[in-house]
Amino acid sequence: MNSRVVSAFAQKDIVDAIRNRYLLGALLTPVFVAVLLRILLPGISNLNFTVVVHDPGGSRLASELRAMPQMKVITAASAEGVANELEKSKAVGGLAIPANFDADIAAGKQPELVVYVNNKQNDIEQAMFRQLVERQFLTSVKERLPAHLTWVDVNKEVSGEAPALNVNQMLLPMLLLLTFAMAGALVVPLLLVEEKEKRTLDFLLTSPASLSEIIAGKALTGIAYSVLFAGILLAVNYKLVGNWPLTLLTILFGIVFVVAVGLFMGALFENTMQVNTWAGLVLFVLLAPSFPSLRLPAMLERALHFVPTYYFVEALRLALAGTASPRFWGHLVVVLASTVVAFAAATWALRRQQN
Amino acid sequence: MSFRLQQNLGGCVPTIVNAIEVEGLSRTFNSRRAVDDISFTVEAGEIFGFLGHNGAGKTTSIRMLTGQLRPTSGHARVAGCDVIADQQRLKPLIGVVSEHQNLYERMSARENLIFAARLYGADTRRIDEALDQVGLLDRANDKIQQYSNGMKQRLLIARSLLHRPQIIFLDEPTRGLDPIVGRDIRRLVQNLSREGITIFLTTHYMEEADQLCNRVAFISAGKIVALDTPDNLKLAHGQKSLQVRLNDGERLTISLDDQDSGEKIKQLVTSGQIRTLHSAEATLEEVFIQMTGRKLSE
Repeated sequence: MNSRVVSAFAQKDIVDAIRNRYLLGALLTPVFVAVLLRILLPGISNLNFTVVVHDPGGSRLASELRAMPQMKVITAASAEGVANELEKSKAVGGLAIPANFDADIAAGKQPELVVYVNNKQNDIEQAMFRQLVERQFLTSVKERLPAHLTWVDVNKEVSGEAPALNVNQMLLPMLLLLTFAMAGALVVPLLLVEEKEKRTLDFLLTSPASLSEIIAGKALTGIAYSVLFAGILLAVNYKLVGNWPLTLLTILFGIVFVVAVGLFMGALFENTMQVNTWAGLVLFVLLAPSFPSLRLPAMLERALHFVPTYYFVEALRLALAGTASPRFWGHLVVVLASTVVAFAAATWALRRQQN
Repeated sequence: MSFRLQQNLGGCVPTIVNAIEVEGLSRTFNSRRAVDDISFTVEAGEIFGFLGHNGAGKTTSIRMLTGQLRPTSGHARVAGCDVIADQQRLKPLIGVVSEHQNLYERMSARENLIFAARLYGADTRRIDEALDQVGLLDRANDKIQQYSNGMKQRLLIARSLLHRPQIIFLDEPTRGLDPIVGRDIRRLVQNLSREGITIFLTTHYMEEADQLCNRVAFISAGKIVALDTPDNLKLAHGQKSLQVRLNDGERLTISLDDQDSGEKIKQLVTSGQIRTLHSAEATLEEVFIQMTGRKLSE
């Protein structure tokens, strides 16, 4: 493969995409969406929570919870009863506050506070509850947490680790995927399809450029734009990243996969109308695994496991939480294998058209 | 006149006489034979034309010869390179001007040529030279969207010249252009031929083939029905006649193929009735219609 030829393609397409207002809009839209979500996303104060509390000592913590207008507090008779009450009342979380909680904190001790999280509730509510517990009530002391937190997941259905993420960490995979899905699964196929529509592909095929070099050039363009805009998102949200090398590696794998899907679409479709017709559906399917779970029917939940971006999102969540485990690497292998298949399919589709 | 330039075309074979050699070439699309068992050669330095109506197989033939389309059967060698097996060695040796104006519209002429130069590994200093050759140097930085059809066609030719090809394929180079622009393109083609470049062109304009081509092949329904110089085709297949205008205004056509034509002419000459006398040769189109039963414009 001639790097001069590949870079010639990439340079031409990178500049040409900017001059195409439609493509420019497609590239910038996810960035605007990300900014808009940051502005419009309802703060913790706008959500209503039901929380179960066992508080034999009448702590200040429980009083402050009851005083919050969006908080409905249900009292549990015992620490053990908090989990049962969670399920019965469909509360998002619960606290088992020790009897001498206030006194121990005042004495400079670290009492154990057991925090229950109901995994059957909406993921965003769970994440916001965690954030609320950590940020508003226990991080006021800057040097150390005044109490020792023990997190207990109730109704946990997922085996293995499920990273504990805050709201923004829950949304970041969706925003990142949206960013490079637009570049990879919309811009890249449009670049390829336009070559067919304008018959410039005929010129390319009579030039010394091989089909592989044409594909590589288009892929490089999609990767370049995806890296640029993903980089912007990461820079804005740098505090959310737990493990940088794993996060960057995962994002790179995700970008290459989505670009490969875009190449396949570009090889398959003949004109921009076909791309525009199908791109929305493809984007939705790719993005679906990244939506914070709204508790879909079991069949749909299982169907998501067949979408390669499901594994990308799972890997990214683990990376954001700072977790490197066999499960993480397993997810990346699935994404890599899917990428190889998508590239092979794109090459096959283009060669078939040529013949 | 035949051209027998023994050029080193720098192709796959060190020294070749024929720039293009085609033997039994065919292409089938879904059981329809678009090109049916054609065979011909093109000598180095020649302007060779494929003349035929729309759908005759001209473009399909060019696409096979330039490596864009795989033949169903048969063989072809261009600049000594097999069009299938030696594709990567073939491409730097040929330039192709498609029937479609396949330029990048949002880029300028210069940007289009820079991109092409990078693909071919051509010296970018050739760009100004090529633009000047086609008369577009002063519009080099204009976007293609601002170009007329004639300018686009000239730019396509400039793009095909960047890497100094030995053979240029022109597919309907003056299609859709006004007569003046068409004339300019034809002059350009003649200049390229004088530089020693072999030209293979397809057209359905009879005058163009007659004016430009050293030899012409008539193609109809995928088959070559005739191949010779335009003059030989007209002489061999056209009807020779004399157009006579008499003093009283009457016009007569005397076919020289008639046995008594000599006697008729002698009578008219001796009678002093002749005002004007002209020879009337068959046109290529008439020869084409006679041989194929179809008009070129169909």
